[in-house]
Amino acid sequence: MECSFALTGKGYVLIAADTTAARSIVKMKADEDKIKSLGPHLLMAYSGEPGDTVQFAEYVERNIRLYQIRNLYPLRPASAASWVRRALADSLRSRSPYSVNLLLGGYDTATHAPSLYWIDYLGTQAEVPFACHGYGSYFALSLLDRYHDPEASLEEGLATLRRCIDEVAKRLVVAPGKYKVKVVDKDGVREIEL
Amino acid sequence: MNPMNTAAQPQQRQFNPYTENGGTILAIAGVDFSVIAGDTRQSEGYNIQTRYAPKVFRLTDRAVLAVNGFAADGNMFVKKVKQRLEWYRHAHAKDMPLHAIARLIQTMLYGRRFFPYYVYNILGGIEDDGSGAVYSFDPVGSYERETCRAAGAAQSLVQPFLDNQIYFKNQQPAPGTAHPAHLPLPHVLSLVIDSFTGATERHIEVGDGLEIYVVLAKGRDLSGLEGFAGLQEVSSRSDGERIFVIRRELKKD
Amino acid sequence: MSIMEYNGGSVIAMVGKGCVAIGSDLRLGNQALTVATNFEKVFPVTDRIYLGMSGLATDVATLREQFRFRVNMYQIKEERDIEPEAFAHLVSSTLYERRFGPYFIEPVIGGLWKTQGGEYKPYIAAADLIGCLNFAKDFVVAGTASEKLFGVAEGLWEPDLEPEDLFETISQTLMNGVDRDAYSGWGAIIHIVTPDKVVTRTLKGRMD
Repeated sequence: MECSFALTGKGYVLIAADTTAARSIVKMKADEDKIKSLGPHLLMAYSGEPGDTVQFAEYVERNIRLYQIRNLYPLRPASAASWVRRALADSLRSRSPYSVNLLLGGYDTATHAPSLYWIDYLGTQAEVPFACHGYGSYFALSLLDRYHDPEASLEEGLATLRRCIDEVAKRLVVAPGKYKVKVVDKDGVREIEL
Repeated sequence: MNPMNTAAQPQQRQFNPYTENGGTILAIAGVDFSVIAGDTRQSEGYNIQTRYAPKVFRLTDRAVLAVNGFAADGNMFVKKVKQRLEWYRHAHAKDMPLHAIARLIQTMLYGRRFFPYYVYNILGGIEDDGSGAVYSFDPVGSYERETCRAAGAAQSLVQPFLDNQIYFKNQQPAPGTAHPAHLPLPHVLSLVIDSFTGATERHIEVGDGLEIYVVLAKGRDLSGLEGFAGLQEVSSRSDGERIFVIRRELKKD
Repeated sequence: MSIMEYNGGSVIAMVGKGCVAIGSDLRLGNQALTVATNFEKVFPVTDRIYLGMSGLATDVATLREQFRFRVNMYQIKEERDIEPEAFAHLVSSTLYERRFGPYFIEPVIGGLWKTQGGEYKPYIAAADLIGCLNFAKDFVVAGTASEKLFGVAEGLWEPDLEPEDLFETISQTLMNGVDRDAYSGWGAIIHIVTPDKVVTRTLKGRMD
C-alpha cells in the first residue's frame, strides 16, 4: 500500500514516497516517481486515488510554474501550501472531488527556513515537523515522535527516515518495496539514494 | 404497498428489555467519612416519570449504594444486594465489611455477564480501618477503589470538575506545599451541591431533588454537619458508624 | 463516524468584567490518530474580536479565509471596524447560506463592543453549523469536549471576573475539560481581550 514520509532537519526537508503503482492486487510498475518538484525550492509527494493523483499534481505544478513566469519569482512554501489546500478544499465540494493526499516540503530562500506541510484530500492543512500518509503513518509517526530532531544533520535525518522505512517493511503486511527519496535545501531540490 | 399483502414481506419483531432512566450519581471519600449523592429525577426520553425516585440506598450502617442507569434493574439489584447482606448477618452476626460488599457486588454483576443489570454502581462507606472509601463499578462488575467518582447522564459534566477540585488536576501547589489527599467534610458537601446544581443547569435529565448520604466513621464528631439544612440521621445505632441524609431541592425545569 | 468529530478539537469563550476570554485546544487528528499538535482554532477578526471554530479542519481553514475577506470588505465599505454583534450575524448568514450542504464547523465569537459612552462591554456568542446563534451572558463552548466544558464551566465561572482571574477560570475549564476527551487536548491557547490590549498565552497540557 502507498506510503509517504517527510521530515524537517537543520536547513532541509526530506521527503520519501514509495515507487509502486498498483491496480487491485497487481503491481503495475515499481519505479513510479510520486514526488514532484514544484519549483527550485519546493517538493510535493502525492498519493491517493490513481488517476486523480497525477492529474492534480500536474495541475498544481503548472499553476505554480505560471505564477513564477508571471511574477518572475516563485511562490514561497507557505503561500504554495495555502494555494494547494484551497484547490483541494474547493474540489471537495465540487461534482467530482480529487482524492489526493500531499506532503509539501519547501525551503524558504527569504527566511532560510525549511518548512513542511501535511495536506489531506479534504483540504486539511497543518505545518508540522514531520508527517506521513498511508498505513505507514501508524508505524512511522511514533518513531518520529521519538527520534525526530529539528537540528539534525542530513545524515542523521536520513538515518531517522531509514528507521521509519525499515519499521514499516518489518511490521506492515502490505509494505511497499522501494522508495524514492528527495531533499530540498538552500541548494534546491535533489534526489538521494538511500 | 398493498395493505392486504403484508405477509409477503418478511417481518422482524424485537423486544428490548432495557431502557435508560437518566439521572446522575456521585461519591467522594474523605479521611474518615464518605459522601454519596444522587438526584431524584427519573425520566424516559423527554418524559419525567417521577420527581422523587431515590437512587441512593443505605445498605448497612457503614455502606451506601448508589445505582444509576435502568431504574428497574437498579431497584432489583439493590434488593438482591440487601438480601445477600441480610443472609450474611444471619450467618455471621455482624455487618459485612465494605470491601467485601464491593467484591460481592462484582460477583453478582459478573454473574449476569450475558444478560447484565444495566446499571452503574457506586458504593461508598467506611472501611474496617475507619477510612472513607468509594468503589465504582461498570455494569458487568469491573471495579476500583477511588477517592471520587461520578456516573450517569451527567458524568461527562461532573467528572472533569471533580478531577479539578478533588484531585487538583492541572493545578500547581504553592511552593513547599502539597495538594491534600482528602478534603474536609464541609468542602466536600459544597462541591457535591455545586456539581449537581451545575449538572441540573445544563442537563435535562438531572434535577428535581438531591439526596446526599454522609457516612461518618466510628467515633467521629459531627463537625461540618451540624446546622445543615434538611439533615436527618438514618443510622440504626449511635455507637458505631453513623449515616445522615441531606435532602435538597434542585431546579425542576 | 461523525464529520464533526473527524478531526477533534474544542473551543470556549467566557465573559469577564470589561473583558472576554476565548481559547481552544491544539490537537489536529484523523479520528484516533494525532497528526499535528499546533493547530490553533481561534483567529483574530479585528483588534477586539476573536473567532473560534471547532469541527472539520478543512472548513475551519476555508471559513477563516472567507471571514477575513468579508470583514475586510465590510471595513472598506463602512470605513470602520465591524462590531461583535454585526460580526456574529455575518457568521450566522455565511453559515446559513450553505443550509443544505453546510460547512461542518461550530463557531464561537468573543469580543468587546463600544457603547455610546465610549466604554467597552464584553460580547460572546456561538452558533451551530447552520448558523443558529446563541447569545450567552456567561460562557459558550463548542467541539468534541463541549459536554465536559459545560460541566466544568458551570462549576468554575462566576460573574465579573477580572482579566487575570478570567484567564485562570477559562484555562482550568479548558484543560480539565479536554483532559477527559480523547479527541481534544495536547495543549491549549487562550486570548484575553481587554479594551487596551490582548494577552495571548499558550498552555502546556497532558500529551495522552
